[in-house]
Amino acid sequence: MPTQFTLNAKPVTLDAPDDKPLLWALREDANLVGTKFGCGIAACGACTVIINGEAVRTCMTPLASVAGKQVTTIEGVTATGTSVVQRAWIEHQVPQCGYCQAGFIMATTALLEKTPDPTDAQIDAAITNLCRCGTYPAMRAAIKKAAQLKKAGA
Amino acid sequence: MAAKKYSAARRVFLIGSGLVGGALAIGTTLAWRRVANAQAFKPQVKAGEIAFNAWLKISPDSTVVVQVPRQEMGQGVYTVLAMLVAEELDADWSKVRVEQAEINAVYGNVTALADSAPAAMQAAMMTTARVLGVQLTGGSTSTRDGWEPMRMAAASARNVLLAAAAAKWGVPATELSIEKSIITHAKSDKRAPLGAFAQAAAVLPVPPIANPKAQKDWKLLGTSPPRLDVVEKTRGTAQFGIDVRPEGLLYAAIKHIPFVSGTLHEVRWNGGTAPKEVLHQVRGENYLAVISTSYWSAQKALNEVTLVGGGPTGSVHSSVHSSAQLAAQYADVLDGKASDLKPLHRTFGKHGDAEKIIKTTSEKQRVNAEYSVPFLAHAPMEPLNCTAQIKDGKVDVWVGNQAPTAVLWLAAGNVGVPEENVTVHTPYLGGGFGRRVDLEVIRQALACAKVAGGKPVQLIWSREEDIKHDAYRPAVSARMSAALDDKGGVSAWHHRMVGPSVSKSVMGRMNPLAAGDFPPDKTNAEGAAELPYAFANFKCDHAQVELPVPLGYWRSVGNSYTAFFVETFVDELAVALKKDPYLFRLELLKNQQRFAKVVDAAASAAQWSAVLPKGWGRGIALAESFKSIVCQVVDVEVVGKEIKVRRVVTAVDCGIALHPDNVKAQIASAAIYGLTAALKGKITFNDGMVEQGNLHDYPLLSMAECPAFETVIINSGAPLGGIGEVGLPPVAPALGNAIFAATGKRLRTLPFVIA
Repeated sequence: MPTQFTLNAKPVTLDAPDDKPLLWALREDANLVGTKFGCGIAACGACTVIINGEAVRTCMTPLASVAGKQVTTIEGVTATGTSVVQRAWIEHQVPQCGYCQAGFIMATTALLEKTPDPTDAQIDAAITNLCRCGTYPAMRAAIKKAAQLKKAGA
Repeated sequence: MAAKKYSAARRVFLIGSGLVGGALAIGTTLAWRRVANAQAFKPQVKAGEIAFNAWLKISPDSTVVVQVPRQEMGQGVYTVLAMLVAEELDADWSKVRVEQAEINAVYGNVTALADSAPAAMQAAMMTTARVLGVQLTGGSTSTRDGWEPMRMAAASARNVLLAAAAAKWGVPATELSIEKSIITHAKSDKRAPLGAFAQAAAVLPVPPIANPKAQKDWKLLGTSPPRLDVVEKTRGTAQFGIDVRPEGLLYAAIKHIPFVSGTLHEVRWNGGTAPKEVLHQVRGENYLAVISTSYWSAQKALNEVTLVGGGPTGSVHSSVHSSAQLAAQYADVLDGKASDLKPLHRTFGKHGDAEKIIKTTSEKQRVNAEYSVPFLAHAPMEPLNCTAQIKDGKVDVWVGNQAPTAVLWLAAGNVGVPEENVTVHTPYLGGGFGRRVDLEVIRQALACAKVAGGKPVQLIWSREEDIKHDAYRPAVSARMSAALDDKGGVSAWHHRMVGPSVSKSVMGRMNPLAAGDFPPDKTNAEGAAELPYAFANFKCDHAQVELPVPLGYWRSVGNSYTAFFVETFVDELAVALKKDPYLFRLELLKNQQRFAKVVDAAASAAQWSAVLPKGWGRGIALAESFKSIVCQVVDVEVVGKEIKVRRVVTAVDCGIALHPDNVKAQIASAAIYGLTAALKGKITFNDGMVEQGNLHDYPLLSMAECPAFETVIINSGAPLGGIGEVGLPPVAPALGNAIFAATGKRLRTLPFVIA
């Protein structure tokens, strides 16, 4: 049965099986490939998007479960690709191979909505995605920078 | 004509270079030969672009377009190789762009092949490598390999650009300068961008000799301009192999037999037949792939199938029966007992007579220790994938692979078409670490494309398949012994190891003919065959065994275990001699000033002698790999059985840090990769099958577990070293030595477990 929801601020209808994971519906049916497949068991977070304000790992989220909800992917973080999180990411030159980065950016975006000025412990608790290149040191600095930019209303 | 021109160039160069040493002369002459070829080769151009040589195009808006013949997998190669060209042209960094170079012998990686050869064969290997022209990203060689030819080629392009400007303006070329892509004649106040002269310059004769700038004149190299790939990697628009979407794309999923190697005997579908979503089935020697209109439906279909297979048979099977069995077999080999593993004993390094001295030294003056490391998977974040299309006698392959030339050869041979009918497209690699040297996924994708009626097929491995069917870093065991003398020194060092050959396994999979007699594999003992320490008597032995496990190059390769054995044992010797581990290393390095400086820098930055809180420990380790020297000091806090790595301080001498921020990022990256292995990494076998199956039981270090990093760069001016792997080797021994300092417990097996 087709599933209707809001994808990056636009209404969409995806005609795919109800149990198809949102990850694959996004990549194959909506042709948005910025959301990545990493493990398929919600362990790595490469497939993270924001659903009604929450960071969600989409490799285990059935498409039908997002009916009527607001889904934001990396492509929709801002129209121009320069959200405060992305700007902080660029300033701190975070990505290496880059594959996991969209998932981290989405997780961080959701974190800062709820916790505008996160402590290290709050970052550790919320940002549990995995990066095999080990970009964590630059990423931690970028998360703090993004919080500053957000606070400054930049 | 070309040959004459070249030999004239070489003669001029050799005369001009005066007293340069033999090795350097060979290397630099080779660089010139490569430049001569690269001048003749012009990459494809888009409208208005002017190609100067294999590496450089200039567009009408003066954008400098650099052809990068290596793969960007996070190590920063797009940025750093572009810097080599941009520096010579004094290009405005905001107007520099990169393109993945096409496949051509002119782009071959000579350094990687030379590094793999024994010292006596390196010059011959360079010549061979140039003819073979294999584009390969590995062995931390990309910058070292591009260093001379790319700068020389860019310098000669600069010369013709200036000559064209001089002719147009009627001024001497020597009075011209370039700043931020603008050519300027100060006296007459004339200025124009590079692009204004590109067309005129490209038809001028190329000067035979154009030496690159002296280091003192660098403006870009040695600074840290923004990486060229960061913006698209932040926006989610960077294209990886898994993201390509050629028209009419089908998807394939794959399941291998449960055994680590062996043969598929029977495919049993629940209910007798494959689900209707399966359009085609492809049966390989040890796998079944199914093709569908969606990856998810293909993967789901595989839940409905059982593969009956035969695992490794005969005497070799016992080695993967269980990990305990393998450990016992390794011990037998080291004991010199008969073994099913067919050990081949080789000595990789020797001076003096270490064995005799150790044998004749009294028991209390002898130190012995045994160490072991497990098999490891690479687990790059982007699961393996390859997209292939065979249509009208042409083959297209989209794959993030570290050896695209090998992909081209494989595709042409496998499909049976001439090489010119094959196009290999290389997108970004979502991590490499050596995993993407392997060609198996390409062979499988081609098998899928053959049955897809001309449509492209994207084959994706699930993470389970990746963990269970990697080409693994091998398990290796070591026995170390040393004799102490009466003066508080070490009179003899004997290092013995047992493990399989990674190179033999890799080459054997590429070409089964290569699997028979295989020359000594340098990687078996790299990092242990020669040490900077002054041991009067020294021996490094390796017993190469045969295992039924596919093996692969894993970040830093042999150094990933030799540094653990060597540097833990050095620490044990310091303890036996009641010496400070840092000062003991300095003592052993008194004739190795370059190494000593690195050790001093790390110890000083870490405040080696500063007191730590209770339960904390500090450890040090040194390793040279890929021509760079790295010393790390690790601070650890041990709480019960929990190991918390608090800080990693690194000093690195890679000759010259061309992009210091990238050097620091790569040091932390490799150290984190090494910490994951030291704290968590383990692939084990049970009855021929890998026991782990995804990131829940093959876990990776998380942000919460990541220590603080400080990195000190020493610009010694020594010949360039690599940077992508060198931060890994010392981190495990430095951590183990820190755990010993904190707890008094010496851990000799990876991953570390506090009993």
